[in-house]
Amino acid sequence: MALRVGVEIGGTFTDLVAFRDGSVQVAKVPSTPASPDVGAFNAIAAAALDPADMADLGHGSTVATNAVLERKGARVAFVTTAGFRDILFLQRHTRRNIYDLHYKKPAPVVRRADCFEVSERVLSDGAIELPLDEASLTAQLLPALRQGRYDAIAICLLNAYANDTHERRVTALIQADMPEMFVTGSADVIREFREYERASTTTLAAFVQPVIDRYLSRIEQRLAEDRFAGRFTVMQSNGGRLPAAGMRRNAITALFSGPAAGVVGAVRQAERSGYKNLITFDMGGTSTDVCLVDNGQPATTPDTQIDGLPIRTPVLDIVSVGSGGGSIVWVDDGGMLRVGPESAGADPGPACYGKGGKRPTITDAQVIVGAVRPEGFLGGKMAIDADAAREAFQPVADHFGMTIEQAADAAIRLANNAVVRAIQLVSTERGRDPRDYALVPFGGGGPLHAARIAEELGITTLVVPPNPGVLSAYGLLASDFTKHDSLTRKLGTADAAREVPGVLAGLAKGLGNEFASLGLEGAPTFTFSADMRFVGQAFELPVPLPEDAASSLTEAALKQGFDQVHRQVYFQPADPHRAVEVVALRVAATLPAGELPTLAIARDTVQPAFDAALFDDGDWREGSLQDIASVAPGAALHGPLILAGPTSTTYIPGGWSAKLDTQDNLIVTKGA
Amino acid sequence: MTLDPIDYAVISQAIQAAADEAGTKLVKSAYTPILREAQDGSAAILDREGNVIAQADLIPMQLGGISATCKPCLERHPPETLKPGDFLMQNDPFQGGQHLQDVFIFTPVFVDGEVIAFSASVAHHLDLGGGAAGLNMDAPDVYAEGIRIPPSKWNWEEDWNGGKLEALLRLNVRVPDLTLGDFNAQFAANAIAENRLQQLAAKYGAAKITAAMSELLDYCERRMRAGIAAAPDGVYHGHAAIDDDGTSEEPVHIRCTVTIKGDELEVDFEGTDPQVATNINCPFASCLATALSCVKSVISAPDIPFNEGCKRPVTVKAPYGSILNPRPPAPVRARLLPAYRAYNAVMDALAKAVPAQVIAPGYDTTTSFCLAHLGEKGYSVYLEIFGGGYGAGAGNDGVDAVDSPLSNCSNTPVESLDADYDFFRVTGYALAPDSFGDGEHRGGAGFTRRYEILKDGVKLQTYADRHKLAPGGVFGGADGMSGRTRLFRGAEVITVPPKANLAFQKGDVIEISLGGGGGYGLPAKRQPAAREQDQANGMVSMVTASTQRIAAE
Repeated sequence: MALRVGVEIGGTFTDLVAFRDGSVQVAKVPSTPASPDVGAFNAIAAAALDPADMADLGHGSTVATNAVLERKGARVAFVTTAGFRDILFLQRHTRRNIYDLHYKKPAPVVRRADCFEVSERVLSDGAIELPLDEASLTAQLLPALRQGRYDAIAICLLNAYANDTHERRVTALIQADMPEMFVTGSADVIREFREYERASTTTLAAFVQPVIDRYLSRIEQRLAEDRFAGRFTVMQSNGGRLPAAGMRRNAITALFSGPAAGVVGAVRQAERSGYKNLITFDMGGTSTDVCLVDNGQPATTPDTQIDGLPIRTPVLDIVSVGSGGGSIVWVDDGGMLRVGPESAGADPGPACYGKGGKRPTITDAQVIVGAVRPEGFLGGKMAIDADAAREAFQPVADHFGMTIEQAADAAIRLANNAVVRAIQLVSTERGRDPRDYALVPFGGGGPLHAARIAEELGITTLVVPPNPGVLSAYGLLASDFTKHDSLTRKLGTADAAREVPGVLAGLAKGLGNEFASLGLEGAPTFTFSADMRFVGQAFELPVPLPEDAASSLTEAALKQGFDQVHRQVYFQPADPHRAVEVVALRVAATLPAGELPTLAIARDTVQPAFDAALFDDGDWREGSLQDIASVAPGAALHGPLILAGPTSTTYIPGGWSAKLDTQDNLIVTKGA
Repeated sequence: MTLDPIDYAVISQAIQAAADEAGTKLVKSAYTPILREAQDGSAAILDREGNVIAQADLIPMQLGGISATCKPCLERHPPETLKPGDFLMQNDPFQGGQHLQDVFIFTPVFVDGEVIAFSASVAHHLDLGGGAAGLNMDAPDVYAEGIRIPPSKWNWEEDWNGGKLEALLRLNVRVPDLTLGDFNAQFAANAIAENRLQQLAAKYGAAKITAAMSELLDYCERRMRAGIAAAPDGVYHGHAAIDDDGTSEEPVHIRCTVTIKGDELEVDFEGTDPQVATNINCPFASCLATALSCVKSVISAPDIPFNEGCKRPVTVKAPYGSILNPRPPAPVRARLLPAYRAYNAVMDALAKAVPAQVIAPGYDTTTSFCLAHLGEKGYSVYLEIFGGGYGAGAGNDGVDAVDSPLSNCSNTPVESLDADYDFFRVTGYALAPDSFGDGEHRGGAGFTRRYEILKDGVKLQTYADRHKLAPGGVFGGADGMSGRTRLFRGAEVITVPPKANLAFQKGDVIEISLGGGGGYGLPAKRQPAAREQDQANGMVSMVTASTQRIAAE
């Protein structure tokens, strides 16, 4: 089998995972935020790999996300319908903290001076109320756009989701005048109502597009110099990947691709052992991401936000909480114990790193209770100062009149509770019972906390993947090709049953053509869904549609689907006397990326096991620490036990047992 | 019972989460734009005695007085007289309610046959009958404003779900399907929180839940007391005024005295003008919510949750018969207008105690704008609430174009209005340059909205304030701009009074201008870069910019 490589650029480290002939190679180098592609090639060099040998290079990076957070994207002009130049600044007229007198609105990525208007008006049914004034567009707008020396132009006209004739015409006139310009029309990004959210999404797409384009060009150029002849793909926030050419047309999906890669990696690896209903749980240094997976499909959400700015494009429904290994433990001025959101980060890091950190963190708590040991942390490669950890916790212990161990235990339970809340948000609040799912922990801290979190939720099975620290890089290679499209179309259920199949078929055809134009071979599979609501409501429920919905659909099937989702979300059936309508239709096209490489535990060196006492559940308990590489597949293990690995540590409490299966997944179950 | 700190932290977060979830579902399952888009509704969890424990952060005005609204219900129907399926309901401004449109529903949460808490929701209902659709500016008394629901006990199966209360309401409101849909959204929200609390009790036992609730009150009380204690003791006076009562040209004055002594604070509105004949009277529950919201915002960190504990060290008094504590049957629909001046008066007093913690007066006005049309299929009612620019603070410019401090309503997307209403169209929505007060930190900008009327017979009912008296700057900052409403009819431009009703003709264009906030500190101290940015972005006109430069030099 040829060489397949995943390179994931994170905020601090760039991770690489390479597969060749059944062997797995892992590399970690510092990221180079000024020009992240340098870090990617450093990782390739560190692993001594030759791009010319690569058949598949999967890539994920925080380039788009950082461009927005640091406001270092393109110089964007925004064009909208006359009368509405300020929609990006007016936003939704609300404040996110109602008692904050010094509240600041999220800052758009476009300056007010760079917002322009064109005279036109389309109505909600697509009718043209006022024709586009091309004369003033040519006489005034085009010169202003030329003079502004913009990198990109975003266009969002009112009701363009219903009829984008004017939007397309404006695009064409700008492109005829400025052929090199990146122009993004809102209807090309999303075709859904609510002008502020659509305009925000369109401007963000325009803002990151030139950045992504330049970035991918640099990588492609360097790859060409290195005689790379394989397939270069980029991860998207929806959990699928696209060839680089596709990503350049669709840059908005590059935001938040990092957490999505981890979810996909976890799904694929757990699937090998037959687990398809999962809750993924990725705990890093500053935050934790969780996502619910039904039958191998991660949940998606149609909207998200970055830095307070809304994005309406389907992304994996990942909930993030500010609770990680580096989260600071503190007591507020009302005497409540708190964990995070402030983090000690990588520098100075937790007190136990001995790099000058004085404030207690969750990692310090894990050292105090004995779960993280100087001998076993990250394969013994990292020095741990247990005394510094205890010293940092002393004030917290004093405040509550507890022992240091009790205070550390309390902090861990509180950090776990934040994750429990996040999991409830993606499960119970969406009408799912967490007990029906296996928990898949990964990231540096996930496997350390997972069992206790599972207990809180009544979850009885954990699937701990091999090498949980590099699962995101693996996800880059394990993901399918995916692209989504949607269309707002308001229809009563009777009309919908007639019209929806044709609309879905049209959307599916467009996606199929798009895949073909990107050189992707094979017939994609399509999944269909409708956003539905009671007539008169403003928020829609996502209703999955049958597989053959693009050829035929009944009114009964639509109503039944709505009722089912309504029961899940509101714990009551949909009122049969109220009329229901379809508001938007969605299609996802997926093409499998081919045979998957396999993750495995590296067994070249084995550390000896030893007895280790652990403070857990209020008392010290006898346990042991064992190198994961020494565990024989199938052997029964019993807690309390710590399994140390090169990228992560797994904690199995008393009353839990574990077994390594043939896929190198560690299956941890409640009960002896 | 004593709780260990972890159980306490875990349970209190779960209670907060239950309130948040109820708030989200209230909005998401609503029908009318005022609830589903503007989000003019709130959810909370109360203990068995009716003290607010946790709330979804939606509308400060509705939340601040919710205990005062619940307690009259409990006096008539103590928890031990309730059975599962019962709910308490009321909206009476003279028995702890606010204005009639805000209907409060309290659902008892039973664990092992005992009430351990109440889940509560309130929604602003688009129309509850009364003399005009949505809003009756001519109401001479509360009877003309809609149905009054006394503090009362009902049962969901017997009275609501096809029952007599539901039937009574259906017959007395103008958009019954949508309105009953919003009531159902309230019941759904209450059911969610009830469900979550029961799950929590099943896990930890009712005793721990009750203990955690009681500790949450103590916790907020401690933090609030710490904030008050940090402010200097003293007696501080504050004042603000409403333009007029809608019948005369005379301003209506609100006066207050804030007394800080140790870790306790008293707000007394003695000296405030008497109640008026028009609907700008503020029921006491609203007055209480106003004073508490202001004190909490200034005195305590924004991360302290608001509950009844925050209220313990604070006393609020208003003379009976004044505009802040009216006698029945005063009309009260536009209570937010006097409430905002009460907010400004308390802030004015606190500015003398803790100058670095206050902000300048903002536009701080609820401009309520209601269009109604009676067509062949019945009434179509549109109601939207507008804020303006915030006042500037010691370290920040005021925020532009948001809802005012006591409220937090979203705008309704123009594309949503285009799809839902055929008798008007929004033709412009823009920030208002030059509308804010200059200063070391400038006030937030106001904005304008324009509507074209598409049919004859469309009616407008509106109330607003600050068309005459603009928000003042503080510590040398300049005043913000006042607002105005104008009607364009053919070549004619007609100024519409702030409190008005009128009938439109097809083709009329109406424009509402919302003013900006006051500045904080001397304009000469403003950073040149901030000035240049405003100029480049067209937020100050060239004339204003050059005047400012000369003043600064």
